[in-house]
Amino acid sequence: MLLEINDVSKAFGGLIALQDINFAVEDGETLGIMGANGAGKTTLFSLIAGHAKPSQGKIILAGQQIDGMRPAQISALGVARTYQIVRPFRGLSVLENVAAGALYGSHQEKSMATANQMAHEILVDVGLDDRAGQPAGSLTLAGFKRLELAKALATGPKLLLLDEVMAGLTPSEVNQAIDIIESCKQKYNYTLIVIEHVMKALMRMCERIIVIHHGEMIAVGAPDQIAQDEAVIQAYLGAEK
Amino acid sequence: MNNSLRLIGTAAVIVILASLSGLASEYMLGIGFTLFMYIALAQSWIILSGMTGYISLGHVVFFGSGAYVFVLLWGLVPVWLGVAISGLVVGIGALMIGYPVLRVRGPYFVILSFGLAELVKNLVLINEARMYMSLRPVFGAPPLAQLYIAMLVLAVVATALTYWIRRSRFGAGLRSIREDEWAAETIGVPASRLKLIAFALSGLIPAMVGAIFIMRSGIFQPGDAFNPIVSFTIVTMAIIGGSDDAAGPLLGVAFLVILQELLWANWPEIYMIILGVLLIGFVLFAPGGILGWCSKNLSRSKKNAA
Repeated sequence: MLLEINDVSKAFGGLIALQDINFAVEDGETLGIMGANGAGKTTLFSLIAGHAKPSQGKIILAGQQIDGMRPAQISALGVARTYQIVRPFRGLSVLENVAAGALYGSHQEKSMATANQMAHEILVDVGLDDRAGQPAGSLTLAGFKRLELAKALATGPKLLLLDEVMAGLTPSEVNQAIDIIESCKQKYNYTLIVIEHVMKALMRMCERIIVIHHGEMIAVGAPDQIAQDEAVIQAYLGAEK
Repeated sequence: MNNSLRLIGTAAVIVILASLSGLASEYMLGIGFTLFMYIALAQSWIILSGMTGYISLGHVVFFGSGAYVFVLLWGLVPVWLGVAISGLVVGIGALMIGYPVLRVRGPYFVILSFGLAELVKNLVLINEARMYMSLRPVFGAPPLAQLYIAMLVLAVVATALTYWIRRSRFGAGLRSIREDEWAAETIGVPASRLKLIAFALSGLIPAMVGAIFIMRSGIFQPGDAFNPIVSFTIVTMAIIGGSDDAAGPLLGVAFLVILQELLWANWPEIYMIILGVLLIGFVLFAPGGILGWCSKNLSRSKKNAA
């Protein structure tokens, strides 16, 4: 098992964001997480990446307990995440954004020249290399989403957490994004957890899907099972009279 | 080829500036001394504030503390050893207070840095008053020609350090902290550690500058050594120069020191007014400083030509 989430709960004051979450992710798997806005999906990513501590439970990465570690330490162990609301380094060039990932992250590349070379290669993979010299702030939304992915890839992740990299994209951009993510996964060989509202994308990419509703896991299973699950349909469409 | 030419050119300029110490008049050496002093200070400021975005409005705290450590050691150790110890003591001090100080961000850090400088000034004032010392004379300092060379060395070291950091892995980490500290940590940048190192490096050279400055002025007075105007001048120079690279401070300092000489000679009373007007003007109309303005307008005229 690459990642184990054991009885994890998270409360913000009196508000329970996540309760008794239990699941494990195998090496090389693609796991989808779905749920309505506010269900706790992004909170789960924050717990794994070290931006918040679980109130209860343990998070174990490749046998090592990681909850309580600093985000930078967790990144060095090979966990990378993207942000739903993108966080590019706007004042730096696109290339510098990605090279920073290679210089730190789990690569910890010491040479600037090698880091730049790695960054160029990743920018080619995500289709942004023609923008390498531009300031990151000048990209379009689709460009920002690709840059998020490129920065995360540059750190050399074993586990990649993608938080709605397709939200706000046009249907043709979504298709391109799925192609990019799948070809990068083959090339760089990481385990993937995706949060996504675009159902088509989840159905196409994931081997398993977890559904979170009001902070609780209400279903786990293969995409076609999830599509027919009673609890999921109730949560999404309301109970049938 | 281009690079080695530039290196030879830089070395030639440094050698010429150094050889002036034996030739130039006392007045010119004084201007050179001030010029190098502010270059060293502004470059040090860039290492912290230019690269990490933690804007320090109290950089004089390092300058004044270095000067104070130096006068306390005056006569006890050889002069240049004293200068080195001042830098070291202040650098270590910065490491010790840096961790809590650098947890504060944005405008709060600006205020804290200013307050910290005032706090240290008043602690020194109280300490001096308790020892019945309102000022400490520094007798028998080396001649100006030597101080000029020493300040030149610090300016060159500070400039080289900024130039190197800007192109290093360390600098890439610092600049990503400036853009978005949270996102920087997410990609593995150990933000607290890098900020702390930048803070200490940024204090080391100003402390030695302060020590050498005290030998030139011949007297240590807490009110002068910790004068907030020094901090404001550093910030103004860095902003007028623009950029987070070594070239920015060189331009900003040269511009302001020359202006200062003209103004002190003719209208000393309006120096602070001019400083304020310049700062406001640059922030409003050329936030990228001289360098930013040049690169913007040059690229525009290039586009027009094409």
